[in-house]
Amino acid sequence: MSELELYVSGDRVSEADGWTLSWLNARQGMARLGDGEQVLIAVAEGSGSDWVVTLRGRRIPVRVMTWRERMLAEAETATGRPAGPVSVTATLPGLIVAVAAAVGIEVVEGEALVTIEAMKMQNEVRAPRAGRVTEVHVAPGSRVAAGDPLVRIE
Amino acid sequence: MATSLSDGPSLRKDETIPEPPFRRLLIANRGEIAIRVIRACRDLGIESVAVYSDADVHDLHVMLADRAERIGAAPPAESYLSIESILAAARRSGAEAIHPGYGFLSEHAAFAEAVEGAGLVFVGPPAATLAALGDKLAARRTATAAGVPIVPGLSVALQADGSGPTADELARVGFPALLKAAAGGGGRGMRQVERVEEIGPALALARHEASAAFGDGTIYLERLIAPARHIEVQLLGDRFGNLAVLGERECSVQRRHQKLVEETPSAAVTPAIRQALFDSARRIATAVDFHNVATVEFLLDADGAHYFLEMNTRLQVEHGVTELVTGLDLVGWQIRVAAGERLPAELLEAPRQGHAIEVRLYAEDPHDQFRPSAGTVTAWQMPSGPGVRVDAGVEAGTTLSPEYDPLLAKLMVHGADRPAALARLRRALDETVIGGVQTDLSFHRWLVDEAGFVSGAYDTGLIAERWGDGPPVSVEDAAIAALVAARARSSGIAGATGDGPHHGLGTPRDGGWAVEGRRQAIERRRPA
Repeated sequence: MSELELYVSGDRVSEADGWTLSWLNARQGMARLGDGEQVLIAVAEGSGSDWVVTLRGRRIPVRVMTWRERMLAEAETATGRPAGPVSVTATLPGLIVAVAAAVGIEVVEGEALVTIEAMKMQNEVRAPRAGRVTEVHVAPGSRVAAGDPLVRIE
Repeated sequence: MATSLSDGPSLRKDETIPEPPFRRLLIANRGEIAIRVIRACRDLGIESVAVYSDADVHDLHVMLADRAERIGAAPPAESYLSIESILAAARRSGAEAIHPGYGFLSEHAAFAEAVEGAGLVFVGPPAATLAALGDKLAARRTATAAGVPIVPGLSVALQADGSGPTADELARVGFPALLKAAAGGGGRGMRQVERVEEIGPALALARHEASAAFGDGTIYLERLIAPARHIEVQLLGDRFGNLAVLGERECSVQRRHQKLVEETPSAAVTPAIRQALFDSARRIATAVDFHNVATVEFLLDADGAHYFLEMNTRLQVEHGVTELVTGLDLVGWQIRVAAGERLPAELLEAPRQGHAIEVRLYAEDPHDQFRPSAGTVTAWQMPSGPGVRVDAGVEAGTTLSPEYDPLLAKLMVHGADRPAALARLRRALDETVIGGVQTDLSFHRWLVDEAGFVSGAYDTGLIAERWGDGPPVSVEDAAIAALVAARARSSGIAGATGDGPHHGLGTPRDGGWAVEGRRQAIERRRPA
């Protein structure tokens, strides 16, 4: 375990001291945890460095990186990649009901770009950072799947 | 006795079992409520017919029913809301009656009329009653005429051009106030306004939302009652004018004006308030032509005064808690009443025992404004044991469709009193494991230890005032999550994941096989 560095929602954490783990159902990633007082059931989902652990009903995103992966990630950050163009994708499948973004307009971080209706609710997709909209891939009435590109910001 | 079954195989092995109310019944719904009706049918010896859209071919309700009929594409307008498709399915399957469940077409007067017009029995009230109660403005006038208190406000529509109520009349409503859709439900078309001047701009938005949701942009104004508790009364009536009042339910834990937790009895309802609520519910029900199950909804203010909100003449999501304290099968009785049975005298006086609580398990993220979450359910372990009931519509492997309501299951508990029921709920929530999608389970675990909820002193503001998006992940939980993820990676756990069609678990549910298996079973039972 010593070759691993653990991050939860961006913060580095250590493994839980005093807790023991046994796999109940490895196919479903289900584990039993105990610290001598309480017993918890957790579900682990993911692969590579990206994992989600469901604990007490809550999905907690966790990154598990080897030293090699960590160094590669740092090198990527150093080259300033995040400042480049971003493609904003649909986080859930649904029907596009409104498109506020238009090619050429400047948006600020958090500004609503597109509204997706799914499960009887309207969900606003917001700009992850400020920039100029260079591409709009959807129009009201289009159906999108999770991961489909919506808008490109440069 | 078995003559009406002569054209089909008898489902009864014991001749002492009474004649089933119908031979075959079609359920015009999906998910957990379709399964609930299928179970009632089984218990009564009725063959059940499920309907499904293309998104639901592999769903649990399709597998559990005796027959299944495809009714169209995934969008509800092309399947579960298509009167034509559903009636065609009923004709093909030879169903004698149609149960609408809740939502979809359950309160649609034109549907009830079309069902009766096709010579089938609609498990619900007459179409005219649905039309009268579906219009909230008309319902307010009915309540007033029956001597039932309504929320102070206007009983006429607001006009876009400013005609209609005068500024004086609007001011007399009192503020803050709510703009509400006459055809409304589920919080849509609802807007809070703080003063008369805000009505104009808010009206345009509310009208737009109501038109989109209900095809009717009629809006009226009502005073906002706050703090308030949302209390409803369960009714069951037959075609002979017999009416059973089966207790109240407290439904004040709400997000977006939609219920999340229900319990009976309510901690806020004293015997005197209960008497007043029951009396009002009875007055409304006798003022309309009604038989079926129904719920009359009220707001209860801090002084214990109640105000009529609406009457829903259909099965409610939360009917189960009333079943737990009365021991009645409300869905079974709903079907029997539709077939013309008379309610027995002992049912009219059915005693209520103990305390029951329901929590709704939704695929929603309570840490992000209860936003619906999509994906595939990977792990699914439901609680059981004494005093626990789960009505579920999904299982491990079910992929959630963004087209439909994200309700996964209803977890209900029953105990001798409220503390006993709460203890049972805590235990049941600890036994519950769901993987693959974020659910509101974490909210429910917080709720059962929340001081106001535990003491019974809470109102409809609970989620907004005390939960928000919930507490951040604790350091301890973060560390435990890290431990689990690190061990999962290093020990080569297959990587169960809810994303995409291949969720790393192999294919636990080969849909093709399941559907084939069921179809073959039907072929064997189909009369020659």
